[in-house]
Amino acid sequence: MTENISESAPDLSINLGRIKLKNPVITCSGTFASGIEYNQFYNISNLGAVTTKSFSLNKRLGNSPPRLCETAGGMLNAIGLANEGIYYFINEQLPVLKNLQVSIILSIFGEDNNEFLRIAKEVNSIKDDIVAVEMNLSCPNVDKGGIAFCSMPDHVESLINSVREILDIPLIAKLSPNNDNFIETAAKARNGGAEAISLVNTVIGTAIDIDNFKPKLGNIFGGLSGPAIKPIALAKVMQLARENILPIIGMGGIFYWQDAVEFMIAGASAVGIGTLNFVEVDAGEKILEGISNYLLEKNINNLGEIIGKVFKKW
Amino acid sequence: MVLGNLMKILNGEILLNKKYGENLYKMEIFSPYICKNALPGQFVNIKCCYEGMLDPLLRRPFGIYEIDKRFNVFTILYLIKGKGTLFLSKLKKGEILNFIGPLGNAIKIVTGAENYLLVGGGIGVAPLCLIARYLTDLQKNVYFMAGFKDELFFSWENDLIKIVRNYRIFTENGSFGEKGLPTNFIREHIDQYKKFNFICCGPREMLKALQDILQGKNIAAIALMEEMMACGIGVCMGCVIKIKEGNNAFTYKRVCSDGPAFNLMEVIFD
Repeated sequence: MTENISESAPDLSINLGRIKLKNPVITCSGTFASGIEYNQFYNISNLGAVTTKSFSLNKRLGNSPPRLCETAGGMLNAIGLANEGIYYFINEQLPVLKNLQVSIILSIFGEDNNEFLRIAKEVNSIKDDIVAVEMNLSCPNVDKGGIAFCSMPDHVESLINSVREILDIPLIAKLSPNNDNFIETAAKARNGGAEAISLVNTVIGTAIDIDNFKPKLGNIFGGLSGPAIKPIALAKVMQLARENILPIIGMGGIFYWQDAVEFMIAGASAVGIGTLNFVEVDAGEKILEGISNYLLEKNINNLGEIIGKVFKKW
Repeated sequence: MVLGNLMKILNGEILLNKKYGENLYKMEIFSPYICKNALPGQFVNIKCCYEGMLDPLLRRPFGIYEIDKRFNVFTILYLIKGKGTLFLSKLKKGEILNFIGPLGNAIKIVTGAENYLLVGGGIGVAPLCLIARYLTDLQKNVYFMAGFKDELFFSWENDLIKIVRNYRIFTENGSFGEKGLPTNFIREHIDQYKKFNFICCGPREMLKALQDILQGKNIAAIALMEEMMACGIGVCMGCVIKIKEGNNAFTYKRVCSDGPAFNLMEVIFD
């Protein structure tokens, strides 16, 4: 044996406020459905948690196609939050996931405060079966003329506070990279009662067909994801981590295990695997293995030793 | 909601990657698993870059063209249309292809239906060939019509001859087969095909034309649909098409996991 290599498996467990996960690898909302499909490729209960697709109160059809467009090192999507509604999750998918013993982070969104609160009431009845609720705050707020919730820090605070009064389980605020005030929003989310921040959602982008002069997406604009956005996401995570506001689930373009390690060194306590799930359907397992091997090779026993380490090296 | 438990991540050796025309290729891949489990109408989602590379990012879906169970080889027929297919065209015999499959649903054969008219446009003929083989094995009466822009598919006729006895080939410029469109021929001779079940795959214009021809004729028609996909397994909700639901209403269905085969008369072409 090489003398530098530790004999025992490193401790990969992490805490995000009250959320305790056995490892830091989480799936990003909207890239993993509710995970059931992926369990055909690997045991998804080995993941730190599965973040579900975002659910609204009722079924939503989503945007007109085309909904996808591949770009250099990434893809644009404009799905329009198509989903079957929260009751479908509760009645159809949750029993299957419970059976698989998956740690579930339930992603929710609403068009206005009222919808968020009505979903929260429904989720209260299943709160013992999920580890946290992630509030997708990048969706447009119909009451405020379609501006994303997360661009209004004070509004985020009061919304999270209201949800918190109904639903006593850990709340995660998912923020967009498209607003310059994301650090202020994260602070207000903490004041409202959030216990962690997911950063980043997709970056607004578009693409145009030069033959017919039209946008390539039915919705004109979409969200860019994939390796193309990783440096942007990493910078946002680092900027937020420096403020030490809340634990961060870092995400945006993670394609190799090295990317995941970078996010943690930049200050993320956990990492979200997104677009990669579309390409490598067993990605979660591979990224987890890569992180574990990295710690072994570096003779690091505890993941906490690398989280935010970049700041100690400055 | 969930596809069958058969889909797997697979690696298969390329046994042949043959140029059929200027940008038309046929690739044979060794895969006992696909040969054992795949059914007509299903597809594979192929990684179109080397391990560890990121470009092109997404896998590319290909309808299965042929399955040879004796040698555990399946085949795809493809056109170079972009980065992904250009990558495939450069792969050599002996290289390993990474793919996920079998994906999507197999076409459903209606009991009692004996006559089938398969209508393919361009590269849309590829999945129809596997369906034609399957129907022929079931002793069904299969008639194949194919339409192309020009003579690009000239060599492909040698494959078709081995599958079906009855076929017609059309080209828009008349350089190969009959001049014209298969849809125009069908429109003029629709009475001959009233007892046929239609299965079609090709450009949207062709499918839309067939839908118009068959409107009110009470002829069963299946369309194999094509859309840009990200995951291929029903997760991303990206590859949806509009499908009629009730009176004047519609819903979105995923081509990858709800299809690729749909009732042609229920597809809404905007």
